[in-house]
Amino acid sequence: MSNINCVLRTVLLLLVVGFLLTCALVCRAATLAVPDAEALLKRSDAYRNGWPSYVLRVKITHYESGKADEDKLYEVSQKGTERTYVEFLSPREKGEHLLMLGDDMWVYLPDTSRPVRITPLERLNGDASNGDVARTNFSVDYSAVYLRTEKIGAENCYVLDLTAKRKGSTYQRILYWLRVEDARPVRAEFYLTSGKHIKSATFDEYVTVNGRSRLLRWTLYDEIRHNSNSVLEYSNIAPRELPDKLFYQGRTDRF
Amino acid sequence: MRLLWAIPVMLTLCAGRIAVLAQDSAPPELRSDFRYSFAAIDDATFDSSLRPPLPAAATMLKDPSVTLLQNQLLLEPSFTLRYRSRWSVAASAVGRAESFHGLSVAEFDVPSGDAAAAAALGTALEPYTGTRTQLRVKESYAGLSAGDFDFTLGRRIVRWGTGYAFTPAGVLDPPRVPTNPTDRLNVNVGRDMIKADWVHGPHALSLAWSSAALMPASANLHDTIAFRYNILMHGFDTSLIAGDDRAGDAFGGVTFTRVFGQAWELHGEGVWREQGAVVMGAKYTTSCGVSFIGEFYTPPNIAYYRDMSISPSAGRQHYAFLYAGKSRLRELPGWKQWDLAASIVENLNDRSSTVIFDATRRFGSHFSSYLHLEIPEGGKGSEYGATPYSAASSAGVRFQL
Repeated sequence: MSNINCVLRTVLLLLVVGFLLTCALVCRAATLAVPDAEALLKRSDAYRNGWPSYVLRVKITHYESGKADEDKLYEVSQKGTERTYVEFLSPREKGEHLLMLGDDMWVYLPDTSRPVRITPLERLNGDASNGDVARTNFSVDYSAVYLRTEKIGAENCYVLDLTAKRKGSTYQRILYWLRVEDARPVRAEFYLTSGKHIKSATFDEYVTVNGRSRLLRWTLYDEIRHNSNSVLEYSNIAPRELPDKLFYQGRTDRF
Repeated sequence: MRLLWAIPVMLTLCAGRIAVLAQDSAPPELRSDFRYSFAAIDDATFDSSLRPPLPAAATMLKDPSVTLLQNQLLLEPSFTLRYRSRWSVAASAVGRAESFHGLSVAEFDVPSGDAAAAAALGTALEPYTGTRTQLRVKESYAGLSAGDFDFTLGRRIVRWGTGYAFTPAGVLDPPRVPTNPTDRLNVNVGRDMIKADWVHGPHALSLAWSSAALMPASANLHDTIAFRYNILMHGFDTSLIAGDDRAGDAFGGVTFTRVFGQAWELHGEGVWREQGAVVMGAKYTTSCGVSFIGEFYTPPNIAYYRDMSISPSAGRQHYAFLYAGKSRLRELPGWKQWDLAASIVENLNDRSSTVIFDATRRFGSHFSSYLHLEIPEGGKGSEYGATPYSAASSAGVRFQL
């Protein structure tokens, strides 16, 4: 009888230990399956930034009902995550410049020959706003939460919910699809403070520059007027040493 | 055996070195960079019910509602050449050809046989008749960038003021005309100066000495030495300005701009030059992109600030400016090529004002057309009521390269 009791106690003990181990393994697996949203967001920013300071050109072509309507050309200089300087190169806007320092923005207009302080609402002007061109570090402007994993075409994607954490953010909320294997941006939806879904984006083409994969072309779709979209194409992408003076708001010597 | 171990170690070291070199090294900057622009503007301005200043001998216009047509063709080339981000050379000019129609001696009742009266009348009408050409150098300067310092020598347009229609702190700025604050025809000219700027982090110091030797006497400028300290702190873009006009006044002032929330921008200037002058202004942007600007300005009645039409005994003046405008009227085809704006500037002392309307329409990337309307109101002795026309309408075409 005592032998049977020992056996039974041993079996019971093994069952309990086995159950606890299984619970621990299941919990660990669950933790591993939820990705670190903030880390993913930071990793995805590298496709649109990638260097401490760099210069590139952006060509924005706007389409109405499938036909090219207008195009604009900019040269963007960025240093760190807080300083962006944009020179307008299209004939109509030649001589205009835009400077962003954190949440503060100035426009330099040739008519006024001095920096003009502009408000966040003045950034949302046009099909592709100044913020779409100048603010490319989502990890600085938004906090991220993982929502789910889903398939977009043939790509498995993490879906992140980004919420603006500073007043300089162009949009109040972004839904962001990132490729599972390398956090490469695939798609995005942009929302205003009112909750209105104002734009969507697809990240269409990438190129390797100096050993890094960089975004080459993406498309912004107007969710208010569904027959309107803008294509942003990057070129002349290069890391470059940029002086701090370039990002001084009082500088009137704009090139 | 040791050699066999050394080979993979050396290969690893070489690969690491290549990776480091390829990763973050910034390539050398372009040797030189060149920017240019060219604008051509054809402007036709109609001055309705023009009342030119006449000598006593000319009694009255045969047709009191004479309309003067002024046609201007402006050519505005500019270029900037930068070498290795260190040296720069820039120049811009405006060539103007203007002609007048609609006013001549024949419009007036000059006593017959009075040759002297006819000659005096012809002299008085000279600014409103004939054809003239003019070439003005707007900017022409060389610059050197050395570390945190920038040095400039030559003619430059500098704007230290923060006001939109009024700027007492713009001690080196071109004259700011409240009915034309953006210099819509781009004819403002810079000042000849030597300037040094030091920029380090959020701090900037500027020291400028400007000469009036080459400026026309009508510009009423003095040799000026001016200093500015500028800092961006907690969202406030603030400047302290001090200086002295040779054979004139010493001055000091402060300016600031700040954005609040999503839609508000506040700006202000306070300057002491014999007496104090203050500008306070605000800009509000609606969610649909309409901008409203309001400014209040009070200058002392001293020679530096006084308009020609204001009496020296009139005391301190007060002005208000209001503006509403939207670029890209609506984000729809055919609408987004339009910009509209309206503004009013009023002398609160004599209740005279000028209302301004602007409409611009863009065609493609290079062309635009515009309408500009100014309507002065007020008594004959008031600042804006003394304007010699009842309305000025301008229409023009602009080509930009």
